[in-house]
Amino acid sequence: MSIITRARARSVGLPHKRPNPFDNEAFLGYLLLVPTVLVLSIFLAFPFIYGVVLSTTSTEVGDEVLGRFVALANYLFEMARDGVFRTAFVNTFSYTFYTTIVKFVLGLSMALLLNQVFPAQRFVRAALLLPWIIPSVLSTLAWRWMFDPTFSVINWVMNSGLHLPICHGSTTCVNWLGTPGTAMLAMMIVNIWRGTPFYGIAFLAGLQTIPTDLYEAARVDGATRWRQFLHITLPMLRPVLLVVILLSTILTFADFQLPWVLTRGAPYNSTQLLATWAYTIAIPGNQLSIGAAVSLFLFPVLTVVIGVVLLLLRRPE
Amino acid sequence: MTNDELVEVFERDPELYQWTRRTFLKRTGALVVTASLAEMWAVACGGSTGGTNTATTGKAPVPRKGARIVYTQWNSFVPAGDAEVRRQAQEFGDKFGVEVVVQTITQDDLIAKTAAYVQAGDGPDVISMQYSWPHLYTSACLDVTNEVNILKQRLGAIHPVNDAYTKVNGVYRAVPYTIVMNAWSYRTDYFEKAGVSGFPKTFEDMLTAAGKLAKATGKPIAQTVGHAYGDSLTMWLPVLWAHGGKETDAGGKVTINSPETLKAIDWALRAKAAGEVFHPEWLDPDNNQAYHSDNISATLNGPSIYIKERDTNKKFDKVTDNAVMPGGPKGVFTMNLIFNQAVMKWTKEPETAKAFVLYQMDKDNYLKWMAAAGGYDIGPFAAINNAPVFQSDAKLKAFHDVAYDASNKPIGYWPGWPAPPSKKTSQAQAEYITADMFAKALAGTSPQTAVKEAEDRLRNIWEKP
Repeated sequence: MSIITRARARSVGLPHKRPNPFDNEAFLGYLLLVPTVLVLSIFLAFPFIYGVVLSTTSTEVGDEVLGRFVALANYLFEMARDGVFRTAFVNTFSYTFYTTIVKFVLGLSMALLLNQVFPAQRFVRAALLLPWIIPSVLSTLAWRWMFDPTFSVINWVMNSGLHLPICHGSTTCVNWLGTPGTAMLAMMIVNIWRGTPFYGIAFLAGLQTIPTDLYEAARVDGATRWRQFLHITLPMLRPVLLVVILLSTILTFADFQLPWVLTRGAPYNSTQLLATWAYTIAIPGNQLSIGAAVSLFLFPVLTVVIGVVLLLLRRPE
Repeated sequence: MTNDELVEVFERDPELYQWTRRTFLKRTGALVVTASLAEMWAVACGGSTGGTNTATTGKAPVPRKGARIVYTQWNSFVPAGDAEVRRQAQEFGDKFGVEVVVQTITQDDLIAKTAAYVQAGDGPDVISMQYSWPHLYTSACLDVTNEVNILKQRLGAIHPVNDAYTKVNGVYRAVPYTIVMNAWSYRTDYFEKAGVSGFPKTFEDMLTAAGKLAKATGKPIAQTVGHAYGDSLTMWLPVLWAHGGKETDAGGKVTINSPETLKAIDWALRAKAAGEVFHPEWLDPDNNQAYHSDNISATLNGPSIYIKERDTNKKFDKVTDNAVMPGGPKGVFTMNLIFNQAVMKWTKEPETAKAFVLYQMDKDNYLKWMAAAGGYDIGPFAAINNAPVFQSDAKLKAFHDVAYDASNKPIGYWPGWPAPPSKKTSQAQAEYITADMFAKALAGTSPQTAVKEAEDRLRNIWEKP
């Protein structure tokens, strides 16, 4: 009830009604936010702050109280003395960078193709989502089997099917998970396979919101398909593109299941990512605080990435 | 414990262990003698027996009727063994009016879950802990010294490796449970075809055999040099020790950068050149699969390869035999997978949980479990280390002999040896530092660089302020 209505009620002698706090829009707004804030505080803010606190102590798994305060010693120790950490840091960046680019290109291509009219369109769209739907651990185990040097179906196809000279007649020609370069490539292939459908479906949803009359007008003006893509499709898709890239970058930076199941850091830690190295140190290695420090190295990086994407999103048209 | 005290334990609950008064006294008397001999034996050999009969024991734990406990262990590579664990849990529950929930999870997940339970301060009442976990999670494990002392009275001396893992600062934080032995499983037909008579006794002989096998059969001797929690550690630490190398000395001083370590790496390089194949990508199940699918002629593993061939596959069972670890210049060194039962501090039923663990360790029950698992495990006490299952199948002898030698003296070491098990040895083990050192050298890094890198990583652990 507004102030004016209450004043009128008083002036005509109607009985006075107590003000309803829910009539206050600002109050109601904050009230409705409470559940979300609570959930975010419990499941995101608290673990994050606890992680930050842990990383500045010497806590180990099972300690009943936090270990002694060591300030930034864990971070400095990792940067200065841990060679595996440095490898994991570089790997995390290259893993995220290359997979994001490839997923973007493939996902956009997939969306453009799926946006056409063709038979069994719905079935194909649903089927292409399968890699995203299957639990990562199961699909990665299947990939591990396919990359196995002894049983590799990929090698078998390369040798017996395609007769590639690289195989020299052997089905064990590429030891996919046995050398640093190929193991990293294998991890990227699986990540791209799993992540591309997410890009594709999200981009497809964006494509379907672009008004068709824009394309019709462009065609009337004689624009080629390429120019239509550059000047209509890409600009109109920009918000979706940026959000998908943002989400994918965060998820790929923090990827754990896939690299852990596929390589577990082997051979000799050449495929460690920050997430797998943090786990190795914190859980089997028991150094909870150092593990927390390793995982928090991602935070400033991700903050910058998120900041840039949000700025781009807010850029006026 | 005096005889009167033993009688008191028996009289309070004779049904618990299904022994008559006479057999109880007879067996404990015999065990006292056996244990004393074992202790003398071990001391003479410079080993530890984990103490035997000098320890005092209190009352045996008595299960509370109506209690409910949860027991968590790994998924064994021999499912029949897990089935027997469940049967015994049911039997224990029926007998004492309690409910025992047996929860099995994969080995990889067990440490993550255990760490989560410990951090949360809640979870299963009993956890089957691997390697040095009682040293990692000491404050979360109840003192079970009394129960261990009871078992020492009944079953004799503890295997020194289990003893070192379970005893933390003089207090037992877990009950010694089992040893999963690691020995070589090999194809006798391929060895014969290659003209190699029997499995090599030394690492030097292994080079010759590896060359002949690769040439004559195309089926190499193969092993992981990757991040496999069992097979990688049980291979590369003994190779290092057998050549005289050690990660640290007994006091924790990092000593890996030594001529002996370089000799061990040199052996690995020569083995590779001769035809042995070391896989940096293999995890624990991978060599099993390679063997069962006829791709390799020999590999180091737990008994699961042989047991699967013997009991299920029946494809290469007749041409599979097993052999102990070869020796190096410094002798024969073995390492096995170790499990011990910890009763967790958060349990609301500590007596029932401890009684259940003792029930599993009852000699008859333990032997039934060993028989069900077909020789996959061996007991960590003197009275259960030479079970009938090892007598009935001569091919299992090699597995027995990597935990107890031919004269039944306990043998074997732990990751980090000669430093005693600790959080630091555990961390070095979790990071696969020694295996990585070999893997890097085998991939082409200079041995000196690989050793230096391992040294730096070990220093990060042992000399961290």
